Amino acid sequence: MSAVERHRNILDFTLASLMRRKGKNSALIVVYTLVVFVLASALFFTQAIRREAGLVLTDAPELVVQRLVAGRHDLIPTAYLEKIRDIRGVTGARSRLWGYYYDATVGANYTLEVPLEAPPPEGSVIVGEGLARTSGAAVDSLMPFRTTRGEITTFAVSKILPSDSSLVSADLVLLSEKDFREMFGVDRAHATDLAVTVRNKKEIPVIARKIAEALPDTRTISRDEILRTYDAVFSWRGGIMLALLAGAVLAFVIFAWDRAAGLSAEERKEIGILKAIGWETSDVLLMKFWEGVAVSLTAFLLGIVAAYVHVFFASAGLFEPVLKGWSVLYPRFRLVPFIDFPQVAALFFLTVVPYTVATVIPSWRAATVDPDAVMRG
Amino acid sequence: MTPFLPRRSTLYLTFVALSLLVLAGLFMNGARRVAASGPRLAEERRQVRAYGLTDLVLFTDARYTRHPSMADRNAPFQDYPQALEHFPSGSLMPPPPHVRFHERR
Amino acid sequence: MIDLQDIQKTFNKGRPNEYVAVRRVSLKVEPQLVTVLKGPSGSGKTTLLSLLGCMTRPTSGRIFLDGREITSLPERFLTEIRRRTYGFIFQQFNLVKGITVLENVMLPAYPTGERRAVLRDRAMELLELFSMAHKAPSKVEWLSGGESQRVAIARALINDPGYVIADEPTAHLDTALSREFMEIVATLKGRGKTIVMASHDPIVCSEGLVDRIVEVRDGSLVSDGPHR
Ligand SMILES: Nc1ncnc2c1ncn2[C@@H]1O[C@H](COP(=O)(O)OP(=O)(O)OP(=O)(O)O)[C@@H](O)[C@H]1O
Ligand SMILES: [Mg+2]
Repeated sequence: MSAVERHRNILDFTLASLMRRKGKNSALIVVYTLVVFVLASALFFTQAIRREAGLVLTDAPELVVQRLVAGRHDLIPTAYLEKIRDIRGVTGARSRLWGYYYDATVGANYTLEVPLEAPPPEGSVIVGEGLARTSGAAVDSLMPFRTTRGEITTFAVSKILPSDSSLVSADLVLLSEKDFREMFGVDRAHATDLAVTVRNKKEIPVIARKIAEALPDTRTISRDEILRTYDAVFSWRGGIMLALLAGAVLAFVIFAWDRAAGLSAEERKEIGILKAIGWETSDVLLMKFWEGVAVSLTAFLLGIVAAYVHVFFASAGLFEPVLKGWSVLYPRFRLVPFIDFPQVAALFFLTVVPYTVATVIPSWRAATVDPDAVMRG
Repeated sequence: MTPFLPRRSTLYLTFVALSLLVLAGLFMNGARRVAASGPRLAEERRQVRAYGLTDLVLFTDARYTRHPSMADRNAPFQDYPQALEHFPSGSLMPPPPHVRFHERR
Repeated sequence: MIDLQDIQKTFNKGRPNEYVAVRRVSLKVEPQLVTVLKGPSGSGKTTLLSLLGCMTRPTSGRIFLDGREITSLPERFLTEIRRRTYGFIFQQFNLVKGITVLENVMLPAYPTGERRAVLRDRAMELLELFSMAHKAPSKVEWLSGGESQRVAIARALINDPGYVIADEPTAHLDTALSREFMEIVATLKGRGKTIVMASHDPIVCSEGLVDRIVEVRDGSLVSDGPHR
């Protein structure tokens, strides 16, 4: 006589009763598992990207200064660098040269950029892994580009960036300053934007304001804002989660509610029988509790294991069509499995608790009837 | 005598225990991969620093999806007015907080 | 011994459809005897059995079980007493469909937390007793009426109760099966069980085995005497 045996006996009966409606209950578990799978996949995926963005972009420029002309981003005079360097707290300011190039033969957009440090020698480029994969470029092969004057210039590929770092550099073409300026016809007095370093992080807002005052035709973007961008992209209301889930979850809630809450006449009669043969109200509720747990815990466990495999072993392959959009060039990366355990716990409580409660509550009334009702079939 | 199936609760609890074991194994694999990701993250950081990068390569279809943090309020209109929204990724992704009015400090 | 003292059961009290099903009944059920409640349909036999078996509470009056007053006990204790003391055989058998015969028999003992192996042995023993052991792994839906009843009896006995309460046990059985049932009752009596049945079946009432017949009419006892 033990409490454990009581639970196990009642669980035995619960499982036997679930097996009676095998088709229906399996369908329920399959759909439930699918919902957990999609939810957990989205959770794992977004969390991993957020964490990686947060860790990696901490080395982005502390301030980026861009010039706006008539509401459009425009080339910025490099003469602004001096004015910025004069502001107290600024330790350095450098011009950034970058832009986009549409490769008509591949049909993909590349990001062309002049590295701040150690640019490749003139006449050569370093390319990202995704770009090399998509365009078929290899080390020592020649890549043709059309310049602004309509001429074709070619650069020798000197290096392909490691695929490990695809998440930050998949579509990059790194080239020398001279090549960049010649190709896009940007004179030496201008740059795409300016990267500013400051002495003290706390002063960033102050310095940004001072820059805006000194250079009224510019706007600044702080590193903090860059980091927050990725928090926003992958927060729960950041579209991705919502787009994937809203419909599915709502449909499932209705479905599960109907399944769990609707106590059929047969089930009601059965509860009466159990009471009549000596089950207490609490035994009946315990049985219903186990019924809810058996379904939802199974779905949770299967769903979360499948989601982990999907996101961290199969690179979230099922999300790819959604995330890819019309991109031709898509980075191929294996996410670092940063897992937010409180989020997993939250998912557990969101999947197991409501379903179990929805199973137990409706049987409450049926379980408190006088057992003599069964005496008259 | 009649053959008895293994007890159902035993089967179920075994299933739960096994799943938990698999899950623990996966999380351990995750922890190992996180621990081993040092060189990769270091390389990514090196690239961010050396090349002056500001964004992840997630969506390469439009400039405001390739560099969302560099987007400004006018970016989507720079293509043409109907550009709201012709890229699926653009509809998945909200504008960065510093461009949104209500979240600006 | 079950001792009913001045019991009244009123359904829907205070409402227009108020109905007194049992009217000021006092009755002592002697241990180890077979008692039959006899009476026309609607006379209150089933209601009386529910009262005897702690399935429902009387509107007024008191019930003593082996000298202990049980009418005022809270639900939890009442269930406990019901489980230990009574085995019920319902008119429509009330087996749980979709699970096996063996599981049906073990069902009343599940919440006691007894070890399953022990339980299973006891259930098999009971099924053996009623020659139903070969049906242990089959689903109850496939059983015939007589088989269903034997399973129901085995289920009533799983917790080894002192009292067996049966409501119209032969209503769904033919003559041969009814006789067989009475043989089972004889076995139970031989094992020292106290048996209370509601029935108007002559096969039951004329049986020499029955120690006492109580006649019920309109909720009251009209005659009470030893078997003629
Ligand atoms: N829950 C209830 N509410 C109202 N009336 C009830 C209720 N239960 C029983 N009754 C009434 O009480 C009376 C006695 O019913 P009971 O079932 O005890 O009769 P019975 O002697 O067992 O009849 P039968 O031989 O047909 O089974 C009947 O008139 C019945 O309609
Ligand atoms: Mg009746």
